[in-house]
Amino acid sequence: MKDYKKYKFKFNPYLESLYQSDEPLIIYKVENGYNIYTHFSKKIILTNRNINKFFKSFNKKKYNKETDLMIGFFGYDLLCNLIGLKTVNQKKSNFYKGIFYKPETIIKIRDNIKIVSKLKHKKLKISFQKTQVSSPFKMNIKFPKYQKIFDYFSRKIRQGETYQIKICTKYRNKSKINPINFFWKLMKVNASPEAFMIRDKDYSIVSCSPETLINKKGSNIFTKPIAGTLKKNNGLDKKKALKFFKNNIKETKEHNMIVDMERSDLSKICKPGTVKIFKKKFVEEYKHLYHYVTLVKGQLINKIDLKDIIKSMMPGGSVIGCPKIRTLELLNNQENEDRNIYTGSFGFIKYNKDMRFNIIIRSILNYKNFSEISAASGVVLDSTAKKEFNENYIKAKSLLELYK
Amino acid sequence: MIYVIDHQDSFTWNVVHQFRKFDKVYCSNYFNVDYKILNSSETIVLSPGPGAPKDYPQTSKIYKNFKGKKKIIGICLGYQQILHNEKGKIIQQKNIYHGYQSKVKVTNKSKIFKKNKTFKVGRYHSLKLREPFNSNSLSITMRCSKTNIPMAIEDTKNKIYGFQFHPESFLTENGDFIIKKILSN
Repeated sequence: MKDYKKYKFKFNPYLESLYQSDEPLIIYKVENGYNIYTHFSKKIILTNRNINKFFKSFNKKKYNKETDLMIGFFGYDLLCNLIGLKTVNQKKSNFYKGIFYKPETIIKIRDNIKIVSKLKHKKLKISFQKTQVSSPFKMNIKFPKYQKIFDYFSRKIRQGETYQIKICTKYRNKSKINPINFFWKLMKVNASPEAFMIRDKDYSIVSCSPETLINKKGSNIFTKPIAGTLKKNNGLDKKKALKFFKNNIKETKEHNMIVDMERSDLSKICKPGTVKIFKKKFVEEYKHLYHYVTLVKGQLINKIDLKDIIKSMMPGGSVIGCPKIRTLELLNNQENEDRNIYTGSFGFIKYNKDMRFNIIIRSILNYKNFSEISAASGVVLDSTAKKEFNENYIKAKSLLELYK
Repeated sequence: MIYVIDHQDSFTWNVVHQFRKFDKVYCSNYFNVDYKILNSSETIVLSPGPGAPKDYPQTSKIYKNFKGKKKIIGICLGYQQILHNEKGKIIQQKNIYHGYQSKVKVTNKSKIFKKNKTFKVGRYHSLKLREPFNSNSLSITMRCSKTNIPMAIEDTKNKIYGFQFHPESFLTENGDFIIKKILSN
């Protein structure tokens, strides 16, 4: 609570007028505060056709100042297409496959507020968006259908076709939202390490993503898979949380699988012998929960293409299942709706090719007056369809509550 | 040179990096094999992967072609592929092992590892070899110390080796030692 107050109520007239304007902007959680990116001088809407050009464009760029970066997201569909998989059977919502922006202003919210900008004095148009909900949330997959998919995937696990697979369900309602209010409200309950918000003219995304998929600085690359989440309660401390994870067979084996998968994804793009588990199976504490994480590190092959890094690491394994290709094929045949941003990736690429990307989960996408919230949970043989179905609701709950 | 045939697994590059500690490694998809490079390799590694051996007739063909001519090492699915081509039956098991660490014990049939030596290993498999399994050339050389499920095979005459577990997994202790032994044999 104190934390949240520190950032949100740090009153700054410039920031307030920015919030109240219709200027597109992005807020991204950083280690010791938040960065706000705005005054976009370029906006690239990604398609299968221009994505190679997008990656190549960084070869010619020079990094001089902090605003020299592209920030945005890759949708799930685009990432599947990049590794040669098609999602033909799915109903499409025609939302963008990916968008990246070039900011001219960065506002850093820390203990004080620092503005890095050429365009600070650009005139802002006031336009306040009230949240309006015009229909209740509905799920795209009802329990009987979920159970059918669950049983089908369970069979596939027995047959060795997949070792682990996640089914995505969606909640949707008709609504307009004020994403800035939603975001700060969400940060009050869950200031997750990879939280972000995008507000553009025709859509917005509000997310409390927890997982860092790529953190690249120079030739060093880190990934930090999460497998295992525990809600905080009285009497539970970090030590006890670690004990819980270590003694829980289901969490442990899921975690093991993700760690080996991420090691392999990194090995594809790193120098032999450099991929190492940097910190194994530890607990990270957040305001309302504990995460069971492992930090894996590698050193990139010289002159590797950005595209190869993205292709190897995305879509992030921990939200798909394993092995990636076969599991994605199974998923794409069973899920009848486009995942849109869900299990895509948000982050930035600096002009010096350093980058940071997350896995988009626990997110609201508001587009054309509809909000959608996706959640996924894993099919594992020692679980039940009912339990995992309810798990999806628990995961979506803090986002659904924002509409109340 | 070692040729790793990838069955589109998410662990294959761990295998590649492990073998790169000992030799040059080339890796390609099972449906996209470069026969020129394959012909000039001394060792073929059949990677882990989803599904069952019968789903990969291309790999079976390569196995039959090169059996006795090159060293062949199979891991998980690759191990099952070797057995499948040696008239072994690969079946579903009751308990599924994905992401487990188990102890395996060397049987008295091994010519490479010391009898009764145990290793802690990582397992990712739904299927297993049905027993009894009889073969003139292949011997079962490691077993799970708890369930007795076959975990490794050797045919030292033809230089064919297989592991049901994953020597490349971080769950396997001494994985490099196991691979080094096989490669130097």
